[in-house]
Amino acid sequence: MRSKFYQWVVLVALFALISCYPKGAEFAEDLDLVLTNYNQEFDFKAKHTYSIPDSVIKITGDVFSDPDGDHRPSFVDPVYANAILTAINQNMTSHGWTRVSKNSNPDVVILASAMTTTNIYYYYDWWYWSWWYPSGCYCYGWYYPGYYPPYYVSGYRSGTVLVQMVDRSAIVPSGGNVPVEWTAVFNGLAEGSTTSITARIGTAINQAFSQSPYLKIN
Amino acid sequence: MKKIALAVTVVLISQAVLAQHNSFTISYPIAFPMGNLHDYISATSFRGFNIEFNRRQKPNLEFGLETGWQTFYQREESKTYTSGTASISGIQYRYTNIAPILAGVKFYKPSGKTEPYLGVGLGVMYVNRSTDFGLYRITTEVWPFTLRPEAGVLFHFQPGVSGMLGVKYYAAFNTDDLDGQSYLSINIGVVLSH
Repeated sequence: MRSKFYQWVVLVALFALISCYPKGAEFAEDLDLVLTNYNQEFDFKAKHTYSIPDSVIKITGDVFSDPDGDHRPSFVDPVYANAILTAINQNMTSHGWTRVSKNSNPDVVILASAMTTTNIYYYYDWWYWSWWYPSGCYCYGWYYPGYYPPYYVSGYRSGTVLVQMVDRSAIVPSGGNVPVEWTAVFNGLAEGSTTSITARIGTAINQAFSQSPYLKIN
Repeated sequence: MKKIALAVTVVLISQAVLAQHNSFTISYPIAFPMGNLHDYISATSFRGFNIEFNRRQKPNLEFGLETGWQTFYQREESKTYTSGTASISGIQYRYTNIAPILAGVKFYKPSGKTEPYLGVGLGVMYVNRSTDFGLYRITTEVWPFTLRPEAGVLFHFQPGVSGMLGVKYYAAFNTDDLDGQSYLSINIGVVLSH
């Protein structure tokens, strides 16, 4: 009789202890990551103007596929694109940059893209941008001078916003890869209401700038 | 299912050991991370269990085996980690699961209703350190050599049933993949013996 009692004591104690396993993340925003990297040889302080398109492109693969032949990629829903572009423009202004038209010889060009695939395409095709920046550049894609972007793969329905700042003077007709002088990546779960996702995008882009003090030129 | 299998196994083993006139101890450890483990997770762990099978060779000498499980966990609020030119920000969920597998010896000072003891254990520790960062998990698994001194007191309630209160210090040595992990646990438990 007594030994049965002790068996139950042991069983109950074990279940009680094992079931206390910690939970981890509870909300989508708990899984948000903001990564930035830059070329430390690039003199940001010598630059003043930037240009940025009014749309955010949707990247679906490393190679630009154009089934309808209009040379235009897919675009991100304007609600999300506005959240991305507004946050970038506000931060660039507060960091001392002046936005100019792409035809006004900007010092740098900022290209914002998004993807909801499980891969993050850091090396996607330049032709995604040819609709906006018809430079005649025989460019292939991108390279990251002096640093490597991380390559992540995950099985979740993750969303990624990729912001690239390129040196405009490097976009030349002779081509090659375009150097990305600053990269910001926001990665998280592509889940939640529109309001919640746009708020997370804004927070993430603010964080990207706050952890990149070298962008401050004023 | 795994949990049920584990619990049933423990009960069966404890019965087998009791049948051989030895003792079985189950205790609840409250563990305080120290050293490198503390640098990674500073929070006290209230998640764990510890079991021992011991054979008393002489009134003051006991040999035994010990295992158990201890889970250390901490949510690290959003911070920016910088390496070279790269910076990454986010919340980290840090876990360290530890299962010691040790052989030990205890020296008792029999004194009526209470028996103070000192002991030392040697063996290995399974250490699984996982960091959840965004949607990604970085895991390191090692089996370091481990030394575990301990001290405690047995309280004899009635024949075959004692209580125990003890302190164990687990010191795991460095491995190539992970620096030494150490923690101190305060254990309170029951000792069943024949």
